[in-house]
Amino acid sequence: MNERDEPIRDDEMSTRGGDVTRSGTDAAGCGRFSMDLLELAALAKREREIEIDPQLELHLVTCKFCARAVDQFDRNNTFLHGAFLEEIASVAAARPANTDPNHRDSGGKDTEDFDGPIRGYRLGPELHRGGQGAVYQAEQIATRRACAVKMLLGGRFAGEKQRFRFEREVEVVAHLRHPGIVTLYESGLTRSGEPWFAMELVEGARFDEFVRSHEQSPRQLVELFRKVAEAVAYAHRRGVIHRDLKPGNVLVDREGVPRILDFGLARIAEPSREGGEAAATEASGGATMAGEFLGTFAYAAPEQLAGDPAGIDSRCDLYALGVMLYECLCGRRPFEGARSIAELVVQKTMSDPPRPRTIFTSVDADLEVIALRLLAADPARRYDTADALVEDLTRFLDGRPILARDDSFAYVVRKNLRRHWIPATAAGALFITIIVASVSLFLAYQNAERERIRSERTLASFQKALGSANPETGAGSSSMGIDDFLALVEQQVSTELVDEPYQLAGVLRTLGLIHLGFDDAARARSAIEEAHRVQADGFERGEVSAAQFAETEFALARVQFNLQEFALAEATYRRALALREKALGREDVDTVETMRHLASALRAQQRLDESQAMLEDAIRRSAAFPDTNAANVIRVGLLHGRATLLAAREDVVAAVAQYEQALNALLEIVPRDDWRVGRTRYNLARVQMCTGDLKRAFENARESEKILHEKKGVDATMTRESASLLAAIRAMAAQSGVAIEESASLDAGEASPALNADGG
Amino acid sequence: MDLDRTTTALLAGLFDPRNAAAWEAFDRRYRPILLGFARNCGLKDDAANEIAQETIVRFVEEYREGKYDRSRGRLGAWLVTIARYRMIDQQRRRGVAKVERGESAMIDLDDEQSVSAAYEAERRRAVLREALEELATKTKTDPKTIRAFEMLVYHGLSPAQVAEDLGMSTHDVYLAKSRIAAKLREIVERLEAEFEESPGDWGAGGRPSARLDA
Repeated sequence: MNERDEPIRDDEMSTRGGDVTRSGTDAAGCGRFSMDLLELAALAKREREIEIDPQLELHLVTCKFCARAVDQFDRNNTFLHGAFLEEIASVAAARPANTDPNHRDSGGKDTEDFDGPIRGYRLGPELHRGGQGAVYQAEQIATRRACAVKMLLGGRFAGEKQRFRFEREVEVVAHLRHPGIVTLYESGLTRSGEPWFAMELVEGARFDEFVRSHEQSPRQLVELFRKVAEAVAYAHRRGVIHRDLKPGNVLVDREGVPRILDFGLARIAEPSREGGEAAATEASGGATMAGEFLGTFAYAAPEQLAGDPAGIDSRCDLYALGVMLYECLCGRRPFEGARSIAELVVQKTMSDPPRPRTIFTSVDADLEVIALRLLAADPARRYDTADALVEDLTRFLDGRPILARDDSFAYVVRKNLRRHWIPATAAGALFITIIVASVSLFLAYQNAERERIRSERTLASFQKALGSANPETGAGSSSMGIDDFLALVEQQVSTELVDEPYQLAGVLRTLGLIHLGFDDAARARSAIEEAHRVQADGFERGEVSAAQFAETEFALARVQFNLQEFALAEATYRRALALREKALGREDVDTVETMRHLASALRAQQRLDESQAMLEDAIRRSAAFPDTNAANVIRVGLLHGRATLLAAREDVVAAVAQYEQALNALLEIVPRDDWRVGRTRYNLARVQMCTGDLKRAFENARESEKILHEKKGVDATMTRESASLLAAIRAMAAQSGVAIEESASLDAGEASPALNADGG
Repeated sequence: MDLDRTTTALLAGLFDPRNAAAWEAFDRRYRPILLGFARNCGLKDDAANEIAQETIVRFVEEYREGKYDRSRGRLGAWLVTIARYRMIDQQRRRGVAKVERGESAMIDLDDEQSVSAAYEAERRRAVLREALEELATKTKTDPKTIRAFEMLVYHGLSPAQVAEDLGMSTHDVYLAKSRIAAKLREIVERLEAEFEESPGDWGAGGRPSARLDA
């Protein structure tokens, strides 16, 4: 692995002295592994295919020097997956031939795709062309994977903000993984800014053609239709609405499995329309297009046709499913004979479709009820969720009575509780307390009367969720998993608050923070980003207050920080800070807490002077804090931050004193076994180890491990870190022959002499 | 930063009608941007050339007459304003229907935001192009390393394939990608500073580079 044929010449690249690897020289490893290997280990965090020597991996757990070097490399790699490389590639593709002919020597074969519209793909024959764009059969050159590429025409994403939003939307959709949904592989923008999407290539028949050409019993038909509904339900639970469901977007593959195309793409394509020609122009315009548009609009819900984006939610997909079901049952669409969009809107909103049983008397009465409920002009009269529809279809197939609007939570509980069982013990109770406390905090932000009414609904839906999960009332189970429980809460509130997106966003943010508390940054990110997306829209429209949006920005920044995206976290903290300064005041507890976090993000980027300035400013402002427990905890946090900064400057002696000061202050306001005490002792132990005070380091590390084990669980990162620190100190003591008292435990009397040292 | 290359320095040179070098440098930097910008707006090559030419001439005239006040806006915005009027004028002269759609769709010249976005996109591309050029010609980077980067990033090949084609280890391919990307980013940041076109740079209290002309 270390044998190289010198393809990279660091000295000449001069990147060592430049931005990217400067940090590498700042934080040299311990010397056991080369800097190249440490750089690779950092890259491996982002490029999963890189295999790292297990020896090195093990080493990184225990060696702080190497781990720090890897972290610093990694911080500088944040742009590797960003838009920057995309930008470079698109410019390179447009550039005339490479100036150096030698560059072409081994790569002549890919010149053709070099000039193609989409980097990395070879386009084949056109499969379909519609009003929105064209679909091509294609091959991903690198993997030789066959796929379909869809190009949306007429919409440009020229600005940075638009591009950013595009990428974010795509990310959500790309995470959908369901047998009934065609997977989105990749997407991007062409040179001229039109979006393209590469997706799974599915061979199959359109849903309506399949139904027409295959003799189906009503039962088979409902089974097929239920699969479509299940896929829709899955996507809705993840916050993705299709908005353009129609038989042409559902392909039935050779195994008879329906696969939905273009999930979420309608929304992604939206900003392009805002910028360019509005969709309305197309709708009211050309007579030549009328046929196609009328065809599409047959599946559009009345609220979509009304053109009010605020009135559209997941229930528009239910309407489309209603039209499809109706078509299956009756062999015709519910509203026919309209010659213009206007006429269709009038029909859809003013009249009911003919009852299916008046067309075919053989249609089952339950199926008729289901179809007509889906086709209700008022979204509130439709099923609340696609899950509810799936449930009714299942009941129909099982020969049980359908529920229509009964969204029984006990049912969801039974169906979902499968994995990760944990006993509903004290931990479970604590957990519920956390949620209730978080919700109360969230509710505290709601003060206006209108908001209060909504809040009551939020709280009620939570109580319902908690009540249903309570083993004593019998609806839940005597044991359940944390993940399952959170999933249940999420599902329940998503159902209850489907028409209150901002409330839902607030709850999602809370859930995200709980995930973060349990070390699940990935789930935290998806929940909080969704919340952020919704609230950002709301904030722009003035429907979400600055204080509320700041809360979400702050949560998002915490996730980013946790995922070590420090530059991103910095930017987000700054936005949160600006909002909070304006909404809450410069000396508000939350404002100052934001500054403390911002200082950490700066420190993590090695911008120590800026970090210190921020921290000192925060400490000055904290002088105006009221004498409450919460404010005092934040004050101590600032002292702790000061100590960590000293440690980052490698001034370990001063750091020890500062940590001790923070610990003493902390012990005055929280119990001795509070997790923050554990964390502070851990940090203190680390710097004490560096000063060579192994005895005290050992005592603090042991106490820290004990507290964190109990409070955060054995698997928490913090607990593992303190355990490995404890092991490291033991090893070091054994090596240097220092006696550390294994049996002694810290009690109040013993801690004080060490902690009374002047904090400076 | 190469101070002679800043837009500030270029503009200072343009005041002197005899300073051919300044004229040329300005032309070299802004003509390709204006050309690409006009094409972005949907113009065919000859029409785009005409716009680029007219815009540069008009700008230099107005600049020398002292009509361009830097404190009032960015250079790019000024150029866009000139070019936009030229294009509207050209449209009128040539009788181009505004509703024309399809491959070479015109962007709506009344929509200032789209027009500015088209310019900004082209300006950014010019910076990136120059960065790529600089990487290939002015740095002493091993061509093989650059090639590995190109194959990965431009052509979407897998690291394993690139490694095989170039006879490198996959680990070195990954290192090449990250180091070239870092190098490029560094160059781009420097060039952006030289262009001084980031929002705010030309107004009062911009980045230090903008204070050069204060």
